[in-house]
Amino acid sequence: MAEKMIKPRSGLKGFIKKEAIFLIFIAIMIAFPFVLNIITGTGLNAGITKFWQGQLITFFIMAVFAMSYDLLIGYGGILSFGHAASFGGGAYAVALLLKHWAPNILSNYRITIGNLDITEATVLLVVFLVVILVSVLIGLLFSATSIRLKGAYFAMLTLALGSAIHILSKATDFHKWTGADEGLHGVPLPVWLNPTQNRLTVYFIALGFLLLCYLVMNRMVNSPTGRVIVANRENEERMRMIGYNPVIYRTIAFLSASIFAGLAGALYAIWNMSATPTMTSTVTTINALIMTILGGMGTLVGPIIGAGIMQIIGQFFYTWFGARWPLVFGVLFVLIVMFLPYGIIGTWRLRKSSIKNNIQKFFRLFSKEK
Amino acid sequence: MNPRTKKILTLAISVVVVIGVIFALYLYAGKEPFIRTTLSGLTLGSLFFLVAAGLTLIFGLMDVLNFAHGSMFMLGAYMGWQLYTNPTFIFGLLPTILAFACGVMLTTVMKPYLIRWQISEKWQNALPKIAYALALFAAIVGFLGLDILGLAKTAMVAMTTSTAGNPLSEISSQEPLSVYWYRPLLMLISGLLVAFAVSKPGDKTEFAPKEKVLPKLVIPLVLLILTIVSTLIRESAPETLLLMNGNWRFLIAILLAVASGFLFGAITEMTLIRPLYVRSFFIVLLTLGLSYVIRELVQLLWDPLAYQMSRPPLFAQSGKAANLLDWLRNGYSTIDISGVTFPTYRLFVIFLGIVMFIFLILLMTKTRLGMIIRAGVQDPQMVEALGINVKKVFTVVFAMGVGMAALGGIGAGPFLPIQPQMGDQYLMQGFITVVIGGMGSYVGAFVGALILGMARAFGDYFALKLSLSPALAEASTVIIMIIVLLVRPQGLFGKKE
Repeated sequence: MAEKMIKPRSGLKGFIKKEAIFLIFIAIMIAFPFVLNIITGTGLNAGITKFWQGQLITFFIMAVFAMSYDLLIGYGGILSFGHAASFGGGAYAVALLLKHWAPNILSNYRITIGNLDITEATVLLVVFLVVILVSVLIGLLFSATSIRLKGAYFAMLTLALGSAIHILSKATDFHKWTGADEGLHGVPLPVWLNPTQNRLTVYFIALGFLLLCYLVMNRMVNSPTGRVIVANRENEERMRMIGYNPVIYRTIAFLSASIFAGLAGALYAIWNMSATPTMTSTVTTINALIMTILGGMGTLVGPIIGAGIMQIIGQFFYTWFGARWPLVFGVLFVLIVMFLPYGIIGTWRLRKSSIKNNIQKFFRLFSKEK
Repeated sequence: MNPRTKKILTLAISVVVVIGVIFALYLYAGKEPFIRTTLSGLTLGSLFFLVAAGLTLIFGLMDVLNFAHGSMFMLGAYMGWQLYTNPTFIFGLLPTILAFACGVMLTTVMKPYLIRWQISEKWQNALPKIAYALALFAAIVGFLGLDILGLAKTAMVAMTTSTAGNPLSEISSQEPLSVYWYRPLLMLISGLLVAFAVSKPGDKTEFAPKEKVLPKLVIPLVLLILTIVSTLIRESAPETLLLMNGNWRFLIAILLAVASGFLFGAITEMTLIRPLYVRSFFIVLLTLGLSYVIRELVQLLWDPLAYQMSRPPLFAQSGKAANLLDWLRNGYSTIDISGVTFPTYRLFVIFLGIVMFIFLILLMTKTRLGMIIRAGVQDPQMVEALGINVKKVFTVVFAMGVGMAALGGIGAGPFLPIQPQMGDQYLMQGFITVVIGGMGSYVGAFVGALILGMARAFGDYFALKLSLSPALAEASTVIIMIIVLLVRPQGLFGKKE
């Protein structure tokens, strides 16, 4: 008897069905500022609406950062403690260029197409290209020094490299450029990109960034290359036997994760109009790690949820528990590591049917028919 | 080339290189700065060794990267500082902790009887859960209304509003015994319930022989007596302790820090890490989360501030001792070492590191436990197969490592600011030390700590001389580590896999 095959649907319809939850999430996020505005009536760029827009912008950017970490840890099986180096590298690249290089260019040169003045756009484009370059370089640094290492030694090396970059970012020798301990503040931005004046624009840019990054990463992990990266995680020896070079695929994983992290860092620097040494510190990496573990490793949606929990619920925790709310969070994290090792999404996928059954049972209790 | 000649050649070359580097530094820096920098390098190296020795043993034996080690270093410093400055907090909580430990320790006594219980499978599953819930409830009730934050603030108050020279003026009052008595009792019940749950009543798959109850009763009985004594002396002990000679008090502070580190390590290993050995990747995450929790807890108890712990009298008298004997007699704060004025306290830290190194050598080479540990580093499965209780050894090694980190913490207390982040840097340097020395080798940890300490001290010296920032000295250790990893990925003393 032929079993009925479940074919994955292709095309737009299949995509919509597969990514339904994510698309609904995006739709809600698009509507969110307007709905909140109608409810509170404070105006789009003021009061509580503006505040929550800010929270969500941070959430979107951190979600991309956490997803890039998931590429490493969840798909590549690479436990790196220096991922913040890419994030901070991107942030510092943007801040340094916009502060020390761009004003010079903007005041001396004009680039026009017909009547259209595209100087600002060109400068921003160049800045983002530099960000990608910097992230690639950092990714190469990490992957090149760690080719021969495995396991604990590898984790140690990334930790040490990450902290070396952190030390450099706060070294007083470069105080003139990086501002040392205090960081780089007051990055000049064009008016349309200024988060205090035009927060809604930044909001949609961040949301679009999240959407784009999710789509690209989703495509990537489902591509043949992504499959090899996952296989590499499972058994490196076997991959070598089949004829794939694990080093190359590990480097690819490293570089792509580094690029996404660098872009997220760049956007974060623009959104905060500053770059600080905290962005390169291990604490930032560990935050991404916590987000990834909370949501579930190797799921891509998980890190988004983890970031959401950390950012949004963290905000409520702050009001409930005061300044020491990370304590509650840390306890939660330990409990999740102990009892839900696959995170929220991972556990849901594992126990989907039993959870659904339980929910149905629960509702059946209230209905009169048995 | 035969391996023996190769080995001798490598050794000879490295000895020549080391002597050459030392000589070059000596020539470049001059005699006085050289001695001073070397001594501060030894101080740092001693602290690095205390952190790294635990890390390397823990990693070598059970493949656990303990990211909470830095927090435990910090915790040791905080506990010692509490006892030294104002022990009200410690004596206020001691009875409850001892009572709980006493209850838990009764597991071995209860287990043989409980697992022979005839109960249905349903109850077998339900009873431990009920017991855990009740234990939690008892513990919550036991601590309800106890002003832990207020107790924790006592030492803080003693630091800030010090009325010069009279530590007794800041002792804060505690609950009278008539109110307090039920707290240890409830914690004892809570511990008993945990012991009940842990021993899995009715579970026929468990094994525990029935004979010899009396020897098993010794530890719980001692703990019970200690609980009662500590409950009775709770209010008067802080005063007695503060009236004591400062040197003895400091010694007690060191012992307390080590003991609390040991206990904390043992509890962590038994409750949190043991269930995760099957999923070793998650142990790293767990220790990370643990360090996060510990740091937040410390900030909750003592506020995110930096404290200065005063030095014990042996190191406090202003003046310069001519030699060791002169110092020990009069307790000067600095000592003259061939023309260089050096703080005596730092000499004590160097002494601590060397003593611990000798202790480790003796433990590892002369005792049965050391033999088991050395065998376990090579192959834990084989050791288990030979009938040795590896679980117990794991717990002991983890507790010992954490205890050493705590010792480092209290050792660093009087000359580093005591703050929640104080362990981070030492954790980092400890990891680098371990990687340089080779995972699992305590000799490697010692050599690595020496190299790192020297690198840091001389890096700082040259940074000052060439007017660079000390950050570059910090980064130099990472460069050393990368060089070692590229040349010899298994570390200087590590074994090739």
